[in-house]
Amino acid sequence: MTTATEAPERVGPPSKAPRPHPIRDLVIKRSLIGILTLVLVSILVFVATQTLPGNAASAVLQNTATPARLHALEVQLGLNRPAVEQYWTWLTGVLHGNFGTSLANGQPVGTLVGGRILNSLVLVVLAGAIGTLIGVGLGVLAAARRDSVFDRILSVASLAVTALPEFVVAVVLVIFFAAVVVHWFPAVSVFVPGTAPWSNPKELVLPVATLVIVVVPYVFRMMRASMIDALESDYVQMARLKGVPKWRQLFVHALPNAIAPTIQVIGLTFLYLAGGVVVVEYMFNYPGLGQALVSAVSDRDIPQIQAIVLVLAAFYIAVNILTDVIALAVSPRRRLPRS
Amino acid sequence: MTFSRREFLKAGLAGSLAVGTAGLLDACGTGNTIKAFTTSTAGKPRMGGQLRAGLTGGSTADTLSPLNPITNVDFSRINNLYEPLVGLTPGALPVNVLAEELTSNAKATEWTVRVKQGITFHNGRTLTADDVIYTFQQILNPKAPGAAAAGLASIDAKGMTKLDAYTVRIPCSTPFATLHQALAIPGYSDIIPVGFNPAAPAGTGPFKVKSFSPGTQSTFVRYDGYWQSGLPYLDEIVITDYADQTSQVNSLLAGQVDAVNLLSEDVISEVQGESKNVLLSPGGGWNPFTMRVDTGTFSDVRIRQAMRLVVDRQQMLDLVFGGFGTLGNDVFGIWAPEYDHSLPQRHQDIDQAKSLLKAAGAEGLHVTLVTSDIAQGTVLAAQVFAQRASAAGISVSVDDVTVNEFYGTNYLKWQFAQDYWFYNFYLPQVSLATLPTASFNETHWDNSRYDSLYAQAIATTDTSLRTELAHEMQQIEYNEGGYIIPFFPPVIDGFGTNVGGLVPSKIGLSLNAYDFKGVWLS
Repeated sequence: MTTATEAPERVGPPSKAPRPHPIRDLVIKRSLIGILTLVLVSILVFVATQTLPGNAASAVLQNTATPARLHALEVQLGLNRPAVEQYWTWLTGVLHGNFGTSLANGQPVGTLVGGRILNSLVLVVLAGAIGTLIGVGLGVLAAARRDSVFDRILSVASLAVTALPEFVVAVVLVIFFAAVVVHWFPAVSVFVPGTAPWSNPKELVLPVATLVIVVVPYVFRMMRASMIDALESDYVQMARLKGVPKWRQLFVHALPNAIAPTIQVIGLTFLYLAGGVVVVEYMFNYPGLGQALVSAVSDRDIPQIQAIVLVLAAFYIAVNILTDVIALAVSPRRRLPRS
Repeated sequence: MTFSRREFLKAGLAGSLAVGTAGLLDACGTGNTIKAFTTSTAGKPRMGGQLRAGLTGGSTADTLSPLNPITNVDFSRINNLYEPLVGLTPGALPVNVLAEELTSNAKATEWTVRVKQGITFHNGRTLTADDVIYTFQQILNPKAPGAAAAGLASIDAKGMTKLDAYTVRIPCSTPFATLHQALAIPGYSDIIPVGFNPAAPAGTGPFKVKSFSPGTQSTFVRYDGYWQSGLPYLDEIVITDYADQTSQVNSLLAGQVDAVNLLSEDVISEVQGESKNVLLSPGGGWNPFTMRVDTGTFSDVRIRQAMRLVVDRQQMLDLVFGGFGTLGNDVFGIWAPEYDHSLPQRHQDIDQAKSLLKAAGAEGLHVTLVTSDIAQGTVLAAQVFAQRASAAGISVSVDDVTVNEFYGTNYLKWQFAQDYWFYNFYLPQVSLATLPTASFNETHWDNSRYDSLYAQAIATTDTSLRTELAHEMQQIEYNEGGYIIPFFPPVIDGFGTNVGGLVPSKIGLSLNAYDFKGVWLS
C-alpha cells in the first residue's frame, strides 16, 4: 500500500543513473566479499596448522625421527624458515597459479588435488541432482495427496531416515548390496589412479546412493511443506474453482511459487554434500577431496591442506551466490527494482 | 569374605574372557595352533595372475624410497622392489639374499661381503661391489641419514674399499659383531644401484614399478630378469591403500581384493564366516610402555618394578588381541638367538607391588600415561593398564593424544608413554634403544654395567659367549629396566581362498613381511 504523500516521488522524471540490476550487483558484491573470505580462510588455516603439535617432518618420520633426520628433512622442506615467510612464499606462489608441492611426497599439489576435485565433484553433483529430483518429485506427489497413506508413509520414512547418519546408511547398503547378501556392487570404490570416475560407474553406485538417501528427506520435507502452502493459497483455490485440470494446478500454478524456498534447501543440500562426502569417501575408500584432506591434516601437509580447504571454501561461496541468484530469478517480486 | 560389586564384575569379565579364549583355542586344536588359520585351498603353485592387496597403515607420505620407509604399506612395496644383502626367514633367522658370503675378522672390526654374480637391477645394470658401497654411503650420508643409519652407525662408510668387482671390505669404527643381524631387518638396508633415481626406482627384487601414487595405489609387474629361477609366480601386484579396517574387510568379503593386512581379532569370525582365510602370525614386534628412568617418579627402581607387577599380562593380551600373541617378560627381542627364555615369567602380584610402593614412599601414586593410536591396540592396552594399576592404589590418568603430537617435540621425552617397534635382534635393538648413545633411548636408560656388557658382546664373534653376555644384560633389564613389555602382539591378516604360498612368520610385518614372490593364485 502506498500512501498519497509518496505518490509524487514515484511519478517523477526517470533518473539518469543506470537502472539498478539486483542480480548483477549481488554477484559482483558477493564475489568481492568471497575473495576476501578466501584470503582470510587461508590465513586462518595457516595459523591453525602452525599451532598443531608436530610438523610435516615429524609427521613423515614418525618413530624414525632422530634429531639428525628431523633437522635434515625440516631444512629440505623449508620448515625451519619463519612462519610469515613460509606463508608469503605460498601466497605469492598461488597468485602465480602455483599451489606448491606436497610436503609429504614432493608431488605438485595441483596434480594431487586436481583429480580429487573431479572425483568429489562427480559424487556431489550426481547425489545432489538425483536427490533433488527425487526429493522434489516425492514432495509434490505427497502434497498433492496430502494425508493419504502414501503421504503418511513417506513422511514417517523421511523422518526415520533423517535420524540415520551417513555411516549407518553406508554400512547397511554395503551389507545388503556388496558384502553379505548379494554382491551386485563393489563394497569399496577403488579407481585405477588417473581414470575418471565415470569410467568406473559401478564404483559410484553405493557412495551416490548413500548420499541420495541422506539428502532426499530434507528436500522432500521442504518441498512438501511449501507445496501445501501454495496449494492452499487463494490463486490455486481460484484455479481449482475455475476447473483448471489438476496437473496444471500443481505444475503451473503451485510449483513455481513453491520452488523458491526449496531452492534454498537444495543449496544447503549441496553445501552439506561438500562436507558429507568426507564420511562417505572414508567409508568407501573413495579417492576424493575429503579423504585427501583427512590424510593431509594427519601428515601436516600444509600446501595440500590449504589447496583443499580453499577449494571447499570457494565451493561454499559459489553455491551460496548461485542459490541467492536463482532464488532472486524465480521471485520476480524481489528481483524488480523498488524505488 | 567381602567382595565388592566392582570386583565381582571384574572377576566375571576375566572369567568369561578366559573361557572364551579357551573355547577358541580348543576349536583350533591345541594351544597356539596357527595351522587351523592358514589352510589354503589354492593347490600347487601356478604362474600368472594379478594379486590385489588392500592394505591399511599407509598415507599420502607413502614412498618407494628404500632409504626412508615409514608407513607399513611402504614395506609392502619396498620388500618386493628391492632386496637386502641379508634377509630373514619366516622364522626370523638371518639368511643370505644378495650376499654370497658375509664374514667378519676375529675382532669384528671389519667385515667382508661378496655379492652373488649375475644379478641385475630393473634398469638392466648388473649388481656389483660399487652398488654396495653406494648404498651404505647413501644410508649413512650425514646430511640426510637414512632410516637405517642409527642401527648401522658403526660402519665407516668412507673407509669402505672395493676388493674386486663383487667384494667389498667394510671397516667399522667400533666392533660390530652383529652386522649380519642388523642388515637383516626387512626394508631398511636394501641395495640400490649407483646413481639411484627415486623417480624411476630400480632394485633387484622380483617385481618392478609400473605405477605409483602415494596414499592411493601402486601397480608392480613381474621382473623377467629376476635371479631366482621360477620366481615370482605372479604377473602383477596391485597394492591399494585403505583408510580403515571396515572398508578393507568389506572389500575382501566382496572379492575386490585377495589379501588384507593388520586386522583386529574381532573380525576373525566375520572373515572366516564368509569363507575367507585368516593368517595368524606370532609377530616379534613389541608395543612397550616406556618409563623414564633418569628423572621423576620412575627414577626409583622399586616404583618401576611395582608398575611391571600390576600388569595382568594374559588378561591384557586377551582384551587387546583376543588372547593371540605371546606373553612378554619386559625384555625385547623374543625370537633372537640371544633371548633368555629362562627368566621366570613375570605375573601380576598386587601385594608385592603395594609393598614396593610402600618401601619407596609412593603409596597413592598418581601418574599420567601418554598414549596415542600409534599401533594396533596401544590405546586399549593403556586403558587396561590404568584399570589394573588401580588395584595397587596407583591412579593412572590416560592422556590420549594425536599421533602427530605423540611424535612431535615431546617424542623420546615423555615421562610415561608407549611406543611400537618392529622385530629386531636383541643386540641391534639395544644399540637403538637402551644405550646412552642410542638414537631412540626413550627410557633414558644409562647403566654402566649394562653398557660394558654390550661393548664386550658386540666385540666377540664367539656366539655362545655373546649369548652369555646378552643374558646378563637381559637380567639387568628384567630387574631394573624402564620398559614394560606385557606382550608381543600377533599379526592377523586375511586372504582369499584363491591365494597360495602365504605362510605365518615371526618377523612381525604382515603377510610374511609382504614377500609376494612365492605367492600364487589358483
